[in-house]
Amino acid sequence: MSDRTKIILLLLPALSVIGLLFFGGLAIGLMRSFNYMPVIGLTEPNLAAYVAIFSDREFYLSFALTFHIAFTSTVISCVLAVGAALLLRRAFIGRVIINFLFQLNLTVPHLVGAIGILYLFSQSGSFARLAAEWELIARPAEFPALVYDPYAIGIILQYVWKEVPFIGVIILANMQTIGEDYESVARSLGASKWQSFRHVLLPLIAPGLSSASVIVFAFTFGAYEIPALLGANYPAALPVLAYRSYTDVDLASRPEAMAIAILIALLSAAMLCAYIRLSRRGMGR
Amino acid sequence: MTHVSLQDLTKVYPGAASPALDRLSLEIASGDLVAILGPSGCGKTTAMKMVAGLLSPSAGNILFDGRSVLKDKPNERGSVMVFQNHLLFPYMTVAANVGFGLKMRGVDPVQIAQRVDRMLEQVRLPGLGGRKPSELSGGQQQRVALARALIVQPKVLLLDEPLSNLDAHLRLEMRDLIRTLQQEMSITTIFVTHDQEEAVILADKVALILDGEMRQYDKADMFYRRPADGAVARFFGGRNFIPGTSDGASFEGPFGSVKLPPDAMAGRGELTFRPENVVLGGCGPNQLACLVAQKTFLGTQTRLILNTGGTSIEMTGNPAQFDGVRVGDHITISLPPDTLWMLTA
Amino acid sequence: MSGADGVFTRSFRVITALVLIVWLVLPLIPLGIWSFAKGWFFPDLLPRVWTLDAWEYALSDTAGVMDSLGLTIYISVCATALSILVGVPAGRALGMYRFRGKAAVELAILAPTIVPGIAVALGIHSVFIWLGLANTVNGVILVHLIPTIPYMTLVMAGVFANHDPAFEQQARSLGATPLKTFWYVTLPAILPGIVVGGLFAFLVSWSQYILTLLIGGGRVVTLPLLLFNFATSGRNDIAGAIGMIYILPGVIILCLTARHLSGRSSAVGGYGRL
Repeated sequence: MSDRTKIILLLLPALSVIGLLFFGGLAIGLMRSFNYMPVIGLTEPNLAAYVAIFSDREFYLSFALTFHIAFTSTVISCVLAVGAALLLRRAFIGRVIINFLFQLNLTVPHLVGAIGILYLFSQSGSFARLAAEWELIARPAEFPALVYDPYAIGIILQYVWKEVPFIGVIILANMQTIGEDYESVARSLGASKWQSFRHVLLPLIAPGLSSASVIVFAFTFGAYEIPALLGANYPAALPVLAYRSYTDVDLASRPEAMAIAILIALLSAAMLCAYIRLSRRGMGR
Repeated sequence: MTHVSLQDLTKVYPGAASPALDRLSLEIASGDLVAILGPSGCGKTTAMKMVAGLLSPSAGNILFDGRSVLKDKPNERGSVMVFQNHLLFPYMTVAANVGFGLKMRGVDPVQIAQRVDRMLEQVRLPGLGGRKPSELSGGQQQRVALARALIVQPKVLLLDEPLSNLDAHLRLEMRDLIRTLQQEMSITTIFVTHDQEEAVILADKVALILDGEMRQYDKADMFYRRPADGAVARFFGGRNFIPGTSDGASFEGPFGSVKLPPDAMAGRGELTFRPENVVLGGCGPNQLACLVAQKTFLGTQTRLILNTGGTSIEMTGNPAQFDGVRVGDHITISLPPDTLWMLTA
Repeated sequence: MSGADGVFTRSFRVITALVLIVWLVLPLIPLGIWSFAKGWFFPDLLPRVWTLDAWEYALSDTAGVMDSLGLTIYISVCATALSILVGVPAGRALGMYRFRGKAAVELAILAPTIVPGIAVALGIHSVFIWLGLANTVNGVILVHLIPTIPYMTLVMAGVFANHDPAFEQQARSLGATPLKTFWYVTLPAILPGIVVGGLFAFLVSWSQYILTLLIGGGRVVTLPLLLFNFATSGRNDIAGAIGMIYILPGVIILCLTARHLSGRSSAVGGYGRL
């Protein structure tokens, strides 16, 4: 058997499953978003669904909210994760515990984290009760709305809780591979601690940090259950909006759901391209 | 020009049973190029990092021109360390690497560019400033690392195994470059190495550390001619160690009596001499009759194992010189007195 | 640079570490307390009455939590087994060979790890309705392959990249058939990788929500769906108990594989999807 045949046979099962399910699912979604489905007699593709969502104010609000959630969560998580990795790089009491908790946190599903955040930050949650205990508030309604709120604070808190360990573990491994000698060189050449971080360590971990943040951004942009649990009703995050339109009693709104799904896919495809470029650059050095 | 003194410099890593470096004391005169030589793991790099301020000593002191620098941060100390694997910043161009130290000091970019160009010329890499480190050969990378250190005009230059990653022909080139620049800029330079050849060809003076202890601090040729003890002689490739007694003028051993140099010590001990200093044929004093027991061709040299007086002697020389010599032959050799040395037992 | 840190730096580090530790465990604490609470109303900091009611309910035969647990395990085990079968050969091709179009294949396999489930699940659902796979356990297992296969493949590609084919050639030259070579030489070498990859693939499937919700159409009620329902209907005590059960496999797997779980292994990439 030639190598070529062997490679094709080895890859065939994986590529057919992914091709059929993943790319097939995308293709069907794309067709239906254009109202094109010859099997059920829709043979005239049109842009009605896209026109409908682009003329709907809620879509823009949803998009802005979703982008805000993804962007803010990613930025905060990256900053905190780098800080945590810098902390964990040194030996000190508690490092073992944090390392373990980081890994434990990686295995906890997002949904559980979201429920935890709900019980902590809702208006009758643990923090509200603490505030009542210290007589800062008298009734639950006086506690600031941190979940179901228009700024998606609860959602962002949950993502930060989950993604700081995720990015942190990647960056920490990255730092351990790089070692401390580059920074030593920089210090010896006259860089201050901050300069050696800014001009040497940060550029060295940048490829790993950016590919991790691409994964986080794409996830936080497209996840359903967290905004469904912790988000406000209006505007809802895009995945929630898509699911609602899809399960609407009015079957006519299904193409609109498909169109939103396609837009989410497009944005994450852009993220995927960014990821590939970043990881290539990372390997190139 | 900076005089460096290391006083009882000691480093014990947390949890380690024995110190990584035990009470190293060394005086390095201004503008000297000194090698700290020792086998891997003897604490050489630890010593360098402490001088550079990248590690703090557990005990002892480091003085530049009589002033303790222990409290100075690495970026304020005026010493620059060049690491063995040169550690050029991979994402920066060569020029950005060389100009790094000046940029950290807030030097004007135009001036940095000029000084970088001049520095690259001095290390014989003109016009390569726009390249990435990965596009350079190992020898070129090493020179960029040197340029990056020299451009900040350090008081003390610290080199970690500066020649060890280079091919034989590049080593000589790099050695000449380091010597020339070091003397032009008259920078006190310390380097560490495990390779006695590297130490000898580069340094004014060599400090040899064996078993965590400094055995000898001397000019390079003295390690061959006047080794401090048997371990030093063996580290430098000594092969002949003949037990016997000396009265200060001559040595009494298994093959009779041989004349010693005037500064030799008296008492029981070992006579040592280097294989390459044994002379074939009888001329001058200290002639010995020997049986050729073994002859091995080593490429540029030939080695003979000779038996005399119940002991064996190793000699090496130009292969052509031994053309007529066969195993089993009886030959005469001589040991010139000034190539002999007595070691205490 | 160590040893040069002052008291200030050290105490700053300890304080940050403490804050970090508290923050990491904080969301799990009320969940655990709720599972033992009865009528824990505002503004009580701790429940007035502690009970095992929620746990009794969750562990009883009639409540359906145990059925749901069994179903979730069944789905995740099936999805893991299938992704091992498919992912191991694909990982071998990607880890051991260079070929034309490799970048495109890698891209195709990487894509499902980045593109969110909802973006593909809507399209799949309309086809699954037509194929009779919608609202079925089999349909859910199939759709779970979308996140698990890429993951398994990438882990195995990493394993095979460090696998020396010379051992297999040696076995062949000693007279082993291809099948025996695989069984006695290749498999023992890659088994640890398969185990670790498989455990993580299990976790990836275990944590799927939207794919199950859409394709299962509410008929295939896995643990996360049940958890979501109890959490949104205000049964915090039962949600707490289910939540504790739900994180258990992850904790067990963590303890089994802690050694392998450094960021350097490709395995961590998959956690972004949990």
